Amino acid sequence: MTPVIRAEGLRKVYRSRFGTRRVNALDGIDLSVGPGEVFGLLGPNGAGKTTAVKILLGLTRPTGGSARLFDVPVADPESRRRVGYLPEGHRFPGYLTARETLSIFGRMSGMERAVLKARIPELLARVRLSDWADVKVKKFSKGMTQRLGLAAALVHDPEVLLLDEPTDGVDPVGRREIRDLLRAEAARGRAILLNSHLLSEIELTCDRVAVLRRGKVAAEGRIADLTAQSSGSTAAGAGPRDLSPRRYRMTASPMDDVLVSAFRESGASVERVNGHLVIGTRDLAHLNALVDTLRARGALLAELAPVRSTLEDVFVDLVRTGDAGENVQ
Amino acid sequence: MRAWAASVEEVFREASARWTLLAYFALSTLFILIFALAVNLDIVNGALAGAKLFGKEMDLGGSKIDLDQLVLGFETGFSGFLYGLGTFLALFATAHLVPRLQEKGTVDLYLSRPVGRTKLLLSRYCGGLLLAAANLLYLIGSIWLIVFWKTGVAHPRFLLGGVVILFTVACLVAFAFLVGVVTSSTAVSLMVTYAIFFFAVLLSAHDKIAAAVSSTFSANLVKTLYWIFPKTAELGQATISLVSGGMHGVRLADPFAVYASTALFGLVSLLLASWRFSRKDF
Repeated sequence: MTPVIRAEGLRKVYRSRFGTRRVNALDGIDLSVGPGEVFGLLGPNGAGKTTAVKILLGLTRPTGGSARLFDVPVADPESRRRVGYLPEGHRFPGYLTARETLSIFGRMSGMERAVLKARIPELLARVRLSDWADVKVKKFSKGMTQRLGLAAALVHDPEVLLLDEPTDGVDPVGRREIRDLLRAEAARGRAILLNSHLLSEIELTCDRVAVLRRGKVAAEGRIADLTAQSSGSTAAGAGPRDLSPRRYRMTASPMDDVLVSAFRESGASVERVNGHLVIGTRDLAHLNALVDTLRARGALLAELAPVRSTLEDVFVDLVRTGDAGENVQ
Repeated sequence: MRAWAASVEEVFREASARWTLLAYFALSTLFILIFALAVNLDIVNGALAGAKLFGKEMDLGGSKIDLDQLVLGFETGFSGFLYGLGTFLALFATAHLVPRLQEKGTVDLYLSRPVGRTKLLLSRYCGGLLLAAANLLYLIGSIWLIVFWKTGVAHPRFLLGGVVILFTVACLVAFAFLVGVVTSSTAVSLMVTYAIFFFAVLLSAHDKIAAAVSSTFSANLVKTLYWIFPKTAELGQATISLVSGGMHGVRLADPFAVYASTALFGLVSLLLASWRFSRKDF
């Protein structure tokens, strides 16, 4: 599958006005997103997410490396012909109505008026703004402005979508609708690069993510793989992070101190958390031995499940670990 | 071309939404109405026999005045006034075009479209000039029609005066765009451009200033600045001269140098603005 978004060794150094201070916003990142893929770009503030997106759109020039959209260098305005962009904190001209906004930005993307006449009502219906088509944008709430932004990004039916915080200010129902819309676009083969702080949104929407930290890719992969690695339930060395021993949540009756002591004697780590036990084991054989111990004592097993990390756990862990490492250095 | 047209349309929509366009045309209309209603002329055999201003009889000294000369005199004087007013209004109506484009959250929306930055900037420049041209045409055309309606005298040269005013506006708006690209501030763009306008008027006396300064360096500096900056005073004279047909003793010594150096100032300003805008990180 040929990637439609490709960045190699992307670097960006911001210099102060007189060149006395330098900030490495991006330090050699590689990215690739294929058709039909929803890719999430995560990272703490100042990690370089927005800079990466701005370079892809030609808004900012890279200091080094290369970026291409559809194999066209991003410095060429033609690379943006099939790209829809929703910037964070965008400000559409307040004096335009929703219909006029889509008309002007559609024509700026090379669309004909006649085509737009049919396309605009369809898009406004899709983002639930049909009743507001002829109302000036300055009267819109934040969520409505965000939905209009999404419509403007989609107006010319782009093959690539670059979205910066698309659900910012949108209510839960609206968020669900936007998620569904993005999944539908991905199903149509559109490549989507999503930049968001809402990790739960990313987790629900994206196929793959990259976590940026201080301008570098700290982790990249499928969400299931990253969260599994963080939980320690994959084989050692399978990914960038392997946190053995593996952890399980157990509920049994009785779950007394004698049982906990027996588990600990076998080498397991045991914690009591909200009425259940969180057990750290060496491997699967060790886990089964613990179950045997439990049964031998006449206790009944009610629940046993691997503890899976959320994307937020992975994210926080990566950022904190990185910061700690740099502080040591 | 579609992108270009959309950008120009947006300039007009913005101008009307910000009341700039309405204020621009309302002021012009007010002026035209005052002129149309206040002046009543009594014309006998192609000469002015009597005149009323705001209903009050004017003393013409008992003699009949050649109407053609009277109209020419009025149009000449009015063109000088219009040169200043038209230029100032045009700058006021267009100086915000670049700073607003460069606002955070706005510039990304425009630059993420498949339109080159130079093209985007130039489309807004053209939109601004069209706005200025539309108002000048309305103002000058209406006055010309009213004069014709009241006197039956038509001087096409009066309309041509608008071309010189538009030329001056084009050069000054180019400079305002350059300042706007660099500073992203409407206020600074306006202040610096107005300052250049007045400074250039002072420099029209460069020969006298150069003769008055003590060192050769200072004299050369004054002369150099004169040739760098737009010839705002001379272009005002050129407007009057064009409208009067050179009848009122106002003629430029070297019209080509005045137009060429001012055009060069505008062109270099626009090129620098495009170059800076196309290299800017947003």
